[in-house]
Amino acid sequence: MNSETLNTLNSYSKNKYKYGFVTEIDDEKPKKGLNEDTIKFISLKKNEPEWMLDWRLKAYSKWKKMKEPKWANLSFPEIDYQDIYYYSAPKGFEKKPKDLSEVDPKLIETYNKLGIPLEEQKVLAGVAVDVVFDSVSVATTYKGELEKLGIIFCSIGEAIQKHPDLIKKYLGSVIPPGDHSFSALNSAVFTDGSFVYIPESVKCPMELSTYFRINAENTGQFERTLIIADKGSYVSYLEGCTAPKRDDNQLHAANVELIALEDAEIKYSTVQNWYPGDEDGKGGIYNFVTKRGLCAGKNSKISWTQVETGSAITWKYPSCILKGDNSIGEFYSVAITNNFQQADTGTKMTHIGKNTKSKIISKGISLGKSQNTYRGEVSFLRKADKARNYTQCDSLLVGNQCGAHTVPYIDSKNNSAVIEHEASTSKINEDQLYYCRQRGLSHEEAVSLIVNGFCKQVLQELPMEFAVEAQKLVSISLEGSVG
Amino acid sequence: MNIQDNYLKNKKNIFFSENKDIQTHREKLINIFENDRFDKKNNESLKNINLKNFIDFNYKYLIPEETSVINNNHENSYSIVSVNGQCSSFKDDKIEITKILDEDYNDFSKNDTIENNDHFVNLNSLFLNSGFKIVIKKNNNIKIRISNIITDDDLTIFQKNNYICEDGSSLNLIEEYENKNNSTSNILNVIKLEKNSQINHFLIQDNSPNHNLIITTHSSCKKDSTYIQKVYNFSEGYVRNFHYSELIEANSEADLQGIFFLKDNNTSNNKTFVKHLAEDCKSNQVYKGILKDRSKATYFSNTHVDQVAQKTEGYQLSKGILLSDNASYFSKPELKIYADDVKCSHGSTIGPIDENAIFYLRSRGMSKIAATKILISSFINEELNSIDNEQMSEIIQKKLVRYLSKVK
Repeated sequence: MNSETLNTLNSYSKNKYKYGFVTEIDDEKPKKGLNEDTIKFISLKKNEPEWMLDWRLKAYSKWKKMKEPKWANLSFPEIDYQDIYYYSAPKGFEKKPKDLSEVDPKLIETYNKLGIPLEEQKVLAGVAVDVVFDSVSVATTYKGELEKLGIIFCSIGEAIQKHPDLIKKYLGSVIPPGDHSFSALNSAVFTDGSFVYIPESVKCPMELSTYFRINAENTGQFERTLIIADKGSYVSYLEGCTAPKRDDNQLHAANVELIALEDAEIKYSTVQNWYPGDEDGKGGIYNFVTKRGLCAGKNSKISWTQVETGSAITWKYPSCILKGDNSIGEFYSVAITNNFQQADTGTKMTHIGKNTKSKIISKGISLGKSQNTYRGEVSFLRKADKARNYTQCDSLLVGNQCGAHTVPYIDSKNNSAVIEHEASTSKINEDQLYYCRQRGLSHEEAVSLIVNGFCKQVLQELPMEFAVEAQKLVSISLEGSVG
Repeated sequence: MNIQDNYLKNKKNIFFSENKDIQTHREKLINIFENDRFDKKNNESLKNINLKNFIDFNYKYLIPEETSVINNNHENSYSIVSVNGQCSSFKDDKIEITKILDEDYNDFSKNDTIENNDHFVNLNSLFLNSGFKIVIKKNNNIKIRISNIITDDDLTIFQKNNYICEDGSSLNLIEEYENKNNSTSNILNVIKLEKNSQINHFLIQDNSPNHNLIITTHSSCKKDSTYIQKVYNFSEGYVRNFHYSELIEANSEADLQGIFFLKDNNTSNNKTFVKHLAEDCKSNQVYKGILKDRSKATYFSNTHVDQVAQKTEGYQLSKGILLSDNASYFSKPELKIYADDVKCSHGSTIGPIDENAIFYLRSRGMSKIAATKILISSFINEELNSIDNEQMSEIIQKKLVRYLSKVK
């Protein structure tokens, strides 16, 4: 490798986090630590009915008996669950503001710094935003228009108050609280998140979007998202994350449940760019996310798209349970790790019904001293006749101190099902670089171009609004000066 | 009977029981068994295995009355009959065959690549009761054919073999396992390839339904050496093929291939693991399986590329055909890569026989069974064609025909 290449790589690996700033807003918190009182405090603060508190306490008692799952190729210091605040809500937010003018101007400023024009969005983009700043929903736009169609889009707290039947029926039905220790933890202490219900035969006219943002120091964020698409409906949901710069590790354990009934389709897109820690691997978010979708009805479809560039630790496996006949599961992922980041991400496709299909495209890019692992399971159960899976996972290594790993689990119990899996690992092709340079691109531009091309298959799956941002993020993640 | 009691009871029949170092090592192994209790959940090497047969067994070993025979058929070609895992000593200017000695034990047992939690290797170290060592001297070109014979029912054979191929020599090694009695063989081969040497290792496995075969190989390749292994598993009984390869010096190559044919309630576990520890090395791992009736198979493949192992090429391929609704196949092709200038890939497919291909053949007037048979043969044709030994290829063709005759 020539010295120029090395210089470029070095400048890439020194890229600083652009969104590192802290908004000072008074916090109202319970004491640190996790016990039954904490859970009662959260439940009380959210005005929850008793059945919800019972549900949380049950999950907590399960969590106490569980250990963290150990399969992932990650190393991090043990998490001290008693040294974390489990609830943090900006003051005075128990009564929700009616419109944006009532929202704390500092908060608006934060979003503006991030380049999310909340006010503009209201007018222009046609995107309804349910912003989660720390743990309480701040503003919900376009509610009226959605209401006309019968679509429910609100915070999960509100849904517990207003739609208890739906919550009782579906919450925890895809990810049981006892599934593993992080799902139990989330079930016990979740504070906010989004709830979406699309009624029968309704196509949601706009992309629903939530910006999550971790702000208060030492506050674990435990969102809970539940999306239900009733028969014949369609919804596309966007989730994007950036977090301010911090030195302490912040724990994040979200649960996302999707349910698609007959002929319904859910498209869930994520851009995750939380603080990944500095060049020496200090600080950064610990991101332990459980995402699972259930294709409950015939001909249903769930599609996950994710761009993962942030977090010190990423532990994330958006999965699909393909229960209904002819249902389809898709997973598109780009994971970029730099410095000392560690990512162990992938998916799980469980084929239960007949003629079920799944497709997995995963692109991993490792830079600096990071470790990037794809871990995925595809299983065909006995009754999954004529099921079909295609998996492709490619890794790109930039620099010789990082690692790229692929760990697929493939299990077939049906003789009419077909599985194909392929994976490759390589570095950036010198010939391609040379070609780009020859056409007058700088070295950095060339690398950025090649990497963007490498990810294109996944990025093109994102909705328009996100695709632009995601492309920028990919460049920024690589950047010393590109971008 | 638990493992510890079993060991203490039979201690006097086990190799190297007097050696103190080895004894301490074995005590450690017993501790591992006690603590782990064969936890299936966290140990992939135990998947699909009926553990009871292997933990709770009656230790029985007979020292063969007849010493085994070594024939120097004609120049450079030897045939060896190993009886109950033992083989008599032999020496000429090209090869030397001896019993294994205390000092070889460390080579076998204290090896990092063979994972500590591989209980079957540990059991082998614990109950070791047979084995031999073959050294191929410098710059020789040798052919060896070994038939493994077990004399009685219910024997438990724990065997360790050591092969050393010295500088510049090459070895064509054919091992046959065709046992018709109800015994269990647990065999560990440790193979060392010195500079510029080459080994072509063929394993033909064709045991009766009640014979269990557990075979583990560990090969390490020095500069410019090549290790090629081909496994043909036609057994009706349980077979475990775990093969580890370490490329420790530059420009060496490991090629681990296997085909297995399963039927009835049979199970087969397979694993290949290649560790690239030096530059410019190549590896290839290819396993193909055909599963019928209620048979089950697992295949774990793993390529590990160390940070110094630049310019590595490592490929994996796993293919399975399921002929019945009740057969199941699990594969886990893993890549662990710490160097950037590498070309590594893996591919894995599992599925039925291509219906379009069957349709094509049937439209040409073939019966469905005939079409299926042709397509199975073509699935593994590449592997069969690559056998350059006529005698071998004939043996394997015959066994294939036997398997195909039961395909309906």
